[in-house]
Amino acid sequence: MALRRHDPYWDFFINAPPADRANSVLDVIRKTPEGNVFPTRADLHTPEVTASHVKEMARYLGADLVGITELENDDAGHPFAVVCLVRADHDPREALGIGGQVPVQNGLFVTFVLSAWIRELGYRASVTTSLDGARLAAAAKLGTLDRAGMLVTAKYGTRIHVADVVRTDLPLTAA
Amino acid sequence: MAVTPAQTPPPPYLGRSARIVGPVANVDMNQTPHPKNSRGELGKALFNWYRNTISRDPLTRVSAPNHFADQRNFLAAVVNQAPKGQVNARQVPVPDPAVMTRHIKAVAHHMGADVVTVARAHPSFLYAPSTPPAGARDVYQNRSSDVYQGRTPEQMAERYPYIIVATTAWDYDKLQAHRHYIGDAAYHVSQMKAQLILKALEGYIKELGYAALRGMSNPQAAGLASGVGELGRNGLLIHRKFGARIHMPDPIMTDLPLVPDQPVDNGVEDFCKICRKCAINCPTNSVPFGDKVVFNGVEKYKINWLTCYKVRPYMDTHWGSCLTCATVCPFTKPNVWWRSLTVWALSTCPIPARPLLVRALKAIDDRFWGTTRQTRVRWLGYDSGIKPGEQACTVAGCTAEHGPAHAAEPVGNIGYYAPLKENTNRFVKRDA
Repeated sequence: MALRRHDPYWDFFINAPPADRANSVLDVIRKTPEGNVFPTRADLHTPEVTASHVKEMARYLGADLVGITELENDDAGHPFAVVCLVRADHDPREALGIGGQVPVQNGLFVTFVLSAWIRELGYRASVTTSLDGARLAAAAKLGTLDRAGMLVTAKYGTRIHVADVVRTDLPLTAA
Repeated sequence: MAVTPAQTPPPPYLGRSARIVGPVANVDMNQTPHPKNSRGELGKALFNWYRNTISRDPLTRVSAPNHFADQRNFLAAVVNQAPKGQVNARQVPVPDPAVMTRHIKAVAHHMGADVVTVARAHPSFLYAPSTPPAGARDVYQNRSSDVYQGRTPEQMAERYPYIIVATTAWDYDKLQAHRHYIGDAAYHVSQMKAQLILKALEGYIKELGYAALRGMSNPQAAGLASGVGELGRNGLLIHRKFGARIHMPDPIMTDLPLVPDQPVDNGVEDFCKICRKCAINCPTNSVPFGDKVVFNGVEKYKINWLTCYKVRPYMDTHWGSCLTCATVCPFTKPNVWWRSLTVWALSTCPIPARPLLVRALKAIDDRFWGTTRQTRVRWLGYDSGIKPGEQACTVAGCTAEHGPAHAAEPVGNIGYYAPLKENTNRFVKRDA
């Protein structure tokens, strides 16, 4: 970090929004149409074990905290939401540079591959930006919400980015 | 295949492991293995394996560069086929290239790269300019429409003098189950991550107001010149911290002012002369037992890529990427203190005394890690002790009903390796 304080370009990296959005990878990943669900369902273990596999896969892909919670009255009928959290040195809502958006990039890597993997297991899964990730993360017991509605986790405090929520009908257990 | 003319700059120093001894012809990317195969030039079996098969493993279908059921589920395809951004018209001034070099390395590490180096571009590193702009391109790499813009390799190396090599390392523990879907996962997931990082880094350099060209340079040459590692007997770059378990994805060629790194000496050259562990373990005998040869003007160990490639369609139901030569390499170890100490001892040892040290280290490696890798790894629902495709329950104390397809109890703690060396020895001839 000492190195970064003496780096004259670091502020540009973190805070300067890209002049051309195509130089950021975020839009292209978000706008990609969802792939097909594989026609043959994979053999799964019990929902408890499947839930542990989903969490382990998310961690392997780079999520720092993973939680699963039940969805009520989901418009597409998905019973579960997988919430992935990645560490963020800068709040991506304020730091709009390519560097400030790195947590979003890491989060998209996790959610894209995780949801694609669930679809290849033969179950529906979609990445959605319409749900309140922080509230679902709190429901998945990853942390609590403070007065401003920000997620506070025990391990990383508020220096955390809630990646887009993955909704799925994979048989899981909330925890 | 144009031989580089006489006005080329003097050949660069690539370290002790590879030496440019003659004229180097720029490699035509369309003559490299994957494009050859995608045109059907390597036979039906390989063509069908490459283009027309869908993996039975869900994780391979989302992480491997082919064998997917639906390309939209494969992140690297999405990232690499994205439209390219414009170079920012407001260029950030760089008064001190050393500061910018530190910055670019910090940026790549911040994005998740494990290794970042800068090479000075040399015409011999570049792919041949005859590559058509939209020709068949290696799907592992960036589908770039960057072209030479009518320039020769010499002019390109002068105009864009630096090559940034940024890459990721494979996960050590999962790599132990190589020749299995678990090892494939270690390889393919980190490869996807590297593609994402390079794409983001390329975009950031354009935002700084400088050119960032992909699909230009041979990554291994740039890696050698910038000290990513040394070229081993197995034809892979061997890194000081990660051994052979690093990717060599398509590097970024740029005119951003930087300070190039120098080749390194980690003792790989001395180790490879003696060790031969990769050659002994290679299931297709594609790694040479003999000495270096001069190929295309470069003195190096030359693997037989065709025999290496040909085993793959026959192993399709078990794994996607063999990785044996990378896994058995004594340099491929966890990145911990005893490993750093050993590499430090080897690289500071006077060169004439190194063979003695290498023999001692090789004996230790054989004693503790075995002359062949036989590790059983359990991860998610996978178990490398059970033949892939058979159902494997890896949950301790599990009492669930698994049905008749469930695998019998595996014997011992030995991984399932297909093909076994003794089986391929019958039909693969050794070259020495």
